[in-house]
Amino acid sequence: MEEGFQIEAQALAQVLEELDYFQILKIRQNASPADIKAAYYRESRSYHPDRFSNLPAGEMKDTIGRIYKRVNEAYVCLRDDVKRTKYLADILGPERQKKLRFVEASEQELKKEKEQEVGTTANGRKFYMAGLADMAAQRFAAAERNFKMALTYEPNNPNFKAKRDEAGKLIKNDMSIR
Amino acid sequence: MADPGDIAIGIDLGTSYSCVSILENGQTTVIPNEWGERTHASVVSFLEDSTVLVGNSAKRNIITNADNTVYSAKRLIGRFYFSDEVKKAQAVMPYKIVEGENNSVRIQIRENIYSLPETSALVLKEMKSIVENYLGHEVKKAVITVPAYFNDNQRQATKDAGRIAGLDVLRILNEPTAAALAYGFGRDITQRIAVYDLGGGTFDISVLEIGKDVFEVLSTAGDTYLGGDDFDDRIMTWLAEGFLKQHGIDLRLNKYCLQMLKEASERAKIDVGRDGVAKINVEGICQDPDGKVMDLSARLTEAEFNKMVMDLVQRTFKVCDEALQSAKVTAQDLDAVILVGGPTRLPIIRNSVKHYFGKDVMAGIDPDEVVAMGAAIQASSLLDAKSDHYLLDVTPLTLRVGTVGGYTDKIIDKNTPIPIERSKSYTTNRDGQEKVKIRVYQGESNKATECEMLGEFEFSGFRIGYRGEVRIEVTFEIDTNGIVNVTAADVETGQKTSCTIRLSSGLTEDMIEDAKEKNARTRLARGEAAA
Repeated sequence: MEEGFQIEAQALAQVLEELDYFQILKIRQNASPADIKAAYYRESRSYHPDRFSNLPAGEMKDTIGRIYKRVNEAYVCLRDDVKRTKYLADILGPERQKKLRFVEASEQELKKEKEQEVGTTANGRKFYMAGLADMAAQRFAAAERNFKMALTYEPNNPNFKAKRDEAGKLIKNDMSIR
Repeated sequence: MADPGDIAIGIDLGTSYSCVSILENGQTTVIPNEWGERTHASVVSFLEDSTVLVGNSAKRNIITNADNTVYSAKRLIGRFYFSDEVKKAQAVMPYKIVEGENNSVRIQIRENIYSLPETSALVLKEMKSIVENYLGHEVKKAVITVPAYFNDNQRQATKDAGRIAGLDVLRILNEPTAAALAYGFGRDITQRIAVYDLGGGTFDISVLEIGKDVFEVLSTAGDTYLGGDDFDDRIMTWLAEGFLKQHGIDLRLNKYCLQMLKEASERAKIDVGRDGVAKINVEGICQDPDGKVMDLSARLTEAEFNKMVMDLVQRTFKVCDEALQSAKVTAQDLDAVILVGGPTRLPIIRNSVKHYFGKDVMAGIDPDEVVAMGAAIQASSLLDAKSDHYLLDVTPLTLRVGTVGGYTDKIIDKNTPIPIERSKSYTTNRDGQEKVKIRVYQGESNKATECEMLGEFEFSGFRIGYRGEVRIEVTFEIDTNGIVNVTAADVETGQKTSCTIRLSSGLTEDMIEDAKEKNARTRLARGEAAA
């Protein structure tokens, strides 16, 4: 193994916890899917453990393994448009340092989110569903009333608020057309 | 620098047949045994004189020495004794399948008990000795292939088998990946391909992107209990039902008759695939109540055979749908389809695959040898680490941890490139808690009972504190072999904790050492050339 490469790998390993996935793959944040794949192949050529199979077990082998696992982790996230969008928002936000490693919401968290969406109280859910039915039938004023009722049971439900505002806007549009 | 005599071999350890290959002067060579046979039945027959016969000669003993002859062991390796697969096997296998400790499967031959890795290690010993005979010196290193859809328990058990056979296992390699490597090696092509691998006992489909020097697996899917054996079973049922109707005797009730029936069925499958019709004739298959010897004869046409197995063929395409979907490609996006495994010689498979993918299957690839050849290429490249290609493979199954109420939580998704790791924090939930137990599963359901349990890890050696005060970070790693490793550390002190127990049907280090000695002592009997 070349000495230059060893120094490079050690330097990279030292700052690994500070780097986001774009930095690990050495690409820009607006890189295209083809760029991401090319970068993944390029980093694999450098750090794939198979290239070091006859390196004796030890610190250097562990270092390379640690880097390459992070390369894979970066690729898994960035090749997926949905994950990539969320990740980019995460690392541009105030909690960047905490969110350098992408963690998907667990199935239980997703379930909770879903519940939050349609309401956590029986009455909240009831008025919310009625509001949705009104929206579908283009009865926007009735819809707005139902969403407001739903909010009296769950004042902090962001989804209810969003729907109330949406219905409010549609009422205005409706009136201006007439 | 590796010394010139140092060589690593590629072994395709199949359910029905095994094959061994090496890379010589940049070319793969499949190594034949002393009778020129290039594939070897994965059958182990324990003889009276305590020697062991392996390969095509041993296969003949399935009938004459049924109780002491082990075949299709790959269907049992890495499984739990209470699993459905083991129950199914017990119903048809003439050898004795018994329960070992920790719900493991053991095979009883006379008064001896063998683990599955031990019997597979005897097949590996034979493969190793075939190469040693050919080269005239000892070989110690190998790449062994497994179905891509094998879980951690099955991979671990296969690796154990290699160690028991005295081999340094450089890699557990996925069979379809090996086939793709053999196909693309040194050809400088850029293609998107599918590998349709229907073996004796398992089915795998992998979608890959091959570049100049890179083999990237986009997705893999499979069924570890679907293979050529199931096609034989259909013919067997048909023959047995026919005989029952005609003579009022159920051939399946006698294990000896059953083996004759099985052998006839396998031959009929091959004949019907090659000639379009099979004439089945087994003289003296049984005796009637008056002691009169009876023969079995029947005629199987291709149309009838196709009808019998159509649902099995359809099952493979459901799995293909899943793989294409995961890879986010359609059949039209593929440049080539490679067929692997003996059953893919059947016209019904070739035609259905052609129809499903909308393109002709790749010609000129030997479906019985291509996997061993790919393994040999990878073995050689791992030996000198100077290769100019690299494999980017994936984990076939979602890794999960058990949570409360019999549910599980996702840790690492299926089709994630390996090696990969993910950490998760846990806090203690009792004051003064000394141990944390974590159950690890693989599978696609959030219910624990619908997943395969890999083991129960117990961590201790962290600080003792009040409830919720001690945080332990558990790291789940899947290595390049697709094998799962779990470690834990105390978040505050960074102190690595030790994993004390691993409850799974696997073997302990001591058991492996004992088995290794036993394997080294065992003499391989030499059979004879096929008639």
